[in-house]
Amino acid sequence: MMKSVLQRVYLTLILILLYAPIVTLMILSFNKSKSRSKWGGFTTRWYVELFRNDQIMNALYTTLIIALLSALIATVIGTAAAIGIQALRNRFRTFMMGVTNIPMLNADIVTGISLMLLFIAFRFSLGFSTILLAHITFNIPYVILSVTPKLKQTNKSTYEAALDLGASPVHAFFKVVFPDILPGVSSGFLLAFTMSLDDFIITHFTKGPGVDTLSTKIYSEVRKGIKPEMYALSTIMFVTVLLLLILVNISPEEKQGRRREPVKLQRRHKLSRLLFRKIVPVMMAVVVIVGGVFYGSRADNGGNNQVIVYNWGEYLDPDAIAMFEEETGIDVVYEEFETNEIMYPKIQSGAIAYDVVCPSDYMIQRMIENNLLAEIDFSNIPNIKEIGDTYMEMSRQFDPDNKYSVPYTWGTVGILYNKTMVDEPIDSWSVLWDEKYKDNILMQDSVRDAFGITLKYLGYSLNSTDLDELEAAKKLLIEQKPLVQAYVIDQVRDKMIGNEAAIGVIYSGEAIYTQWENPDLQYVIPKEGSNVWVDSWVIPKNAKHKENAETFINFLCRPDIAKMNFDYITYSTPNVGGRALIEDESLRNNPIAFPPAKDLDRCETFRFLGDENDAIYNELWREVKSK
Amino acid sequence: MSNKLIDIVNVSKSFGDNLVLDDLNLYIRENEFLTLLGPSGCGKTTLLRIIGGFETPDTGKVIFDGKDITDLAPNKRQLNTVFQKYALFTNMTIAENIAFGLKIKGKTKSYINDKIRYALKLVNLEGFEDRTPDSLSGGQQQRIAIARAIVNEPKVLLLDEPLGALDLKLRQDMQYELIRLKNELGITFVYVTHDQEEALTMSDTIVVMNQGYIQQIGTPEDIYNEPKNAFVADFIGESNILPATMVQDKLVKILGASFPCVDVGFGRNRPVDAVIRPEDIDLVKPEDGIIEGVVTHLIFKGVHYEMEVTANNFEWLVHSTDMVEVGTEVGIQVNPFDIQIMKKPESEDAEAVTIEE
Amino acid sequence: MKNKHKKMKQLLAGPYMFWCAAFIIIPLLMILYYGFTGKNGGFTFLNIARITTPENLKALGLALLLSFVSTVFCLILAYPLSMILTNLGVNQQSFIVLIFILPMWMNFLLRTLAWQNLLEKNGIINVVLELLHLPSLDIINTPYAIVLGMVYNFLPFMVLPIYNVLSKIDKDIIAAARDLGANSVQTFLRIILPLSVPGIISGVTMVFVPALTTFVISDLLGGSKILLIGNVIEQEFKQGSNWHVGSGLSLVLMVFIIISMALIAKYDKDGEGTAF
Repeated sequence: MMKSVLQRVYLTLILILLYAPIVTLMILSFNKSKSRSKWGGFTTRWYVELFRNDQIMNALYTTLIIALLSALIATVIGTAAAIGIQALRNRFRTFMMGVTNIPMLNADIVTGISLMLLFIAFRFSLGFSTILLAHITFNIPYVILSVTPKLKQTNKSTYEAALDLGASPVHAFFKVVFPDILPGVSSGFLLAFTMSLDDFIITHFTKGPGVDTLSTKIYSEVRKGIKPEMYALSTIMFVTVLLLLILVNISPEEKQGRRREPVKLQRRHKLSRLLFRKIVPVMMAVVVIVGGVFYGSRADNGGNNQVIVYNWGEYLDPDAIAMFEEETGIDVVYEEFETNEIMYPKIQSGAIAYDVVCPSDYMIQRMIENNLLAEIDFSNIPNIKEIGDTYMEMSRQFDPDNKYSVPYTWGTVGILYNKTMVDEPIDSWSVLWDEKYKDNILMQDSVRDAFGITLKYLGYSLNSTDLDELEAAKKLLIEQKPLVQAYVIDQVRDKMIGNEAAIGVIYSGEAIYTQWENPDLQYVIPKEGSNVWVDSWVIPKNAKHKENAETFINFLCRPDIAKMNFDYITYSTPNVGGRALIEDESLRNNPIAFPPAKDLDRCETFRFLGDENDAIYNELWREVKSK
Repeated sequence: MSNKLIDIVNVSKSFGDNLVLDDLNLYIRENEFLTLLGPSGCGKTTLLRIIGGFETPDTGKVIFDGKDITDLAPNKRQLNTVFQKYALFTNMTIAENIAFGLKIKGKTKSYINDKIRYALKLVNLEGFEDRTPDSLSGGQQQRIAIARAIVNEPKVLLLDEPLGALDLKLRQDMQYELIRLKNELGITFVYVTHDQEEALTMSDTIVVMNQGYIQQIGTPEDIYNEPKNAFVADFIGESNILPATMVQDKLVKILGASFPCVDVGFGRNRPVDAVIRPEDIDLVKPEDGIIEGVVTHLIFKGVHYEMEVTANNFEWLVHSTDMVEVGTEVGIQVNPFDIQIMKKPESEDAEAVTIEE
Repeated sequence: MKNKHKKMKQLLAGPYMFWCAAFIIIPLLMILYYGFTGKNGGFTFLNIARITTPENLKALGLALLLSFVSTVFCLILAYPLSMILTNLGVNQQSFIVLIFILPMWMNFLLRTLAWQNLLEKNGIINVVLELLHLPSLDIINTPYAIVLGMVYNFLPFMVLPIYNVLSKIDKDIIAAARDLGANSVQTFLRIILPLSVPGIISGVTMVFVPALTTFVISDLLGGSKILLIGNVIEQEFKQGSNWHVGSGLSLVLMVFIIISMALIAKYDKDGEGTAF
């Protein structure tokens, strides 16, 4: 008795561990606040918005269709393979089973990378089909491993009996063997479907532009903050599966011990079995396929008339894209990246021909130097006149003749602090080394930003290539590490809103939004000076739709669009016309978005320092991180 | 051979709604070969598992050698079990399997080695020490399972359908082997089977069970020759079970014809069941028989011919060493000693006449 | 006649063999190629040698340590759990398995992210602890949080194979051990544990390998302060853009994977310990 109570308690604890995060996510789906770390009241709004969000719905249907297709194909190939492998000679069979184990046991990261290398080497264009191929590859072993045991259990003589009775081998297989291994086949299918659904890493390496599964969509959102619609979607999916499971398990199964049941009841059982085994799954499949076709047709009807955009995550108002598509009839294929360093190799490898990309200053310089960019035909961009001269001048630091880039946003790097959590007003980088704030500091997780800040604090240039200066900066960063709560990129926003830390290094564009959500937060450009940066649109050399790209840039330079976009992303716009349209005075002249010139005097723009110096920076940064 | 070693007192057991044993009483004497016989689901295995300690009865007691062991864990009982599917430890060699119980008891190495050799010799599997269970045939595995049990020198060996998975020839060999073992070891065997031939061959005492009740206890001869009810009669060997009326002592009316018999004390004109074994029916000339009939089927069975004779709208099963052609008119004659009269069951539940296959 | 059928059956494995060659073997050869060549195409051991730099060694060592600890925790949690599940009875089997697969229907990244919410300084757990006047739990952005994330994410991969072998053990074998005088501890140590070795081995590899190579969990729960070998490789590919070094380091990881495969081949010949 005692023992069974203990067992129950233990079981409950494990289940709590397993399901606590899931319950958390479900609760978050009803959170009014967009921020993950703040409870803003109850709402069902996200469930409504979810169905209006084409990006998420598209990702959902891509995910489901890839899961369905890859599971189906893997089930067919895998079942056939399991039968074939059984018939092989011993040594060869062992070898095949060994190969089968590779994708199961191999690290996802290695599998993903190896497939990516293959696809790129053989000039597959990364996209839907490469994800599908990759998923089939890692799904087949699951099918084989669930079919093989059932195959071993089947009685060989029944198959032979069927042949003896005159059935053709194919007929005999489907009538006699297949029903026996069906449980294995269906559990293999289910498993493959689930694995495909849950995969992130392999998809991450094998996907191309414009195609997103839920996983990759979520990963690109992690840094910017997950959209609450995503929680709503996950909740719906989870609850659906849970209900299905409960139905399937409650209904049929009671075969034994009830033989004397009235016929009527039996018939009802048969009916419910039919319902849960056949009708419900078929209905699900129909919903998935119809939904996929529906959202698919909405997604790409442009055919060849398209523009492939590669932009930072959450860096463009989706409504603006919709407007652009409507006005020009050009279809936008939209893909996001998290850092310049992630974006660069994709352009360099030429695996994907992007039409228009939005890198930062120093990266643009690097791309120009490596001959990756096409000159922009400014006659196609009349709206360039809306961009302030100051910013065109700023651009000359990395694009000396203003030939390759059109400024999109700009800003500074500074300190965001929580007034209630610090003792004195902050005006210097030195607080980042203040013991008082141990575990209360959020540092930027990127090489140039981290070193830039430190070099500035030391009084050097943030473009320093002097080894002694860099060594000194590295020492300081190592010293700082115990004080740092976490190295983050965009998560600093959510964490500061949720009072998780007192001090964070942040881009000015994020500061405005965080202040809206949490008025205790204050942004400052430290007195030692900082980084002023520009993100600009450029067109890679291998772009296939250069004119469309220019139309796209011109559209974004239109004052009303620039204003609309500013409202959405709150990053400072270089578009003078656009800025003038901002109604709210306090926002139009917000010192964070548009700091006075004297603050900018102390700031520098990053420059590309050459591959060798880049390698030195990377090496030093890794030394910091691994200490 | 007289004192009770195991006494099972008022034991009941149910699984869920299913009553498997109902208020059962049984004693097992020392040195006895006792067989629990019945169709599957009759409760015989459950009873064995209760004796072995793998199940606890809902009510009632199990007394072993004068001590109540109802709640004693299996590892503390002085008896060992041979399981239906052998249950050898696949992670161990044969020697390790046999040594398992002895090692637990902390016996010395040399003692254990002697015992292994002795046990393997006893079951005719010398030299198998280092083999693994997987490499043995079913019969060999079974003998290892027996060896593993008997090295512990139990007072009682429980055997749960140990020959069920073996083929006919092997089964017959093993039957003699078991009898030999029992005689050499001089311990009590409690044997569970659904095979009546096995039971008749080996047992000192047979306990016929059905639907949780004991139907009859007796020597193989008793059980075969004098089944107490239609169930036992039908289950043990082949028989003709006929609805009949006991006219008076020593006279029974079967299918309208009067047969002399030896049974007394059933009262007058009482409905009864009459059992006649097929080998006890003599086929004679039509005019010499009590009933006349026609041979309708004939099969050669090796030792004898099996025939069906239709007489008075009943198909009589007849075994005879003499062949009678199909279509021959014959008379049926039965020796009075060979007619077994049984009471009709009073309630279906208590005597459980129906047989569920 | 029979031979012909066998041939036909063997043909069924054809498409899969082609698939294996194209999408498993050739890609691995590609990694091998990249791992042993430099940027200018010449043969070199330098990429592999990069594992010996102090930072990479430390990342590898830490990854080994954390994945080892996680594997041990998973085993400690999963074994009793599997035993309890086995005792629950047979007809709920598929349901039990599904309960452990079910969480996978909520995205892996979201689930891990939810742990951030739970563990943060002002997270759900600490709020509850505060209400109960208990000391706060401060493990976010530490190795402890990473271990927790690994245990959480990979526990099902330990439970399922162990549960599978345990549920296949004949009840009579356990009864036989008891019958021969073993108490429950002896029965466990001498019979149940040895018989479940294939499941344990398979579970251990299925937890250890993904834990060793993860970069997502350490990113999300370690605050990017803790660099594991997976992070290093990911950065080589996605940030440092040096595929050659990344491939070289992947090859080093492969060594551990090959060791696990060898272990499985040795202890689980019949594939009894497969999870599903």
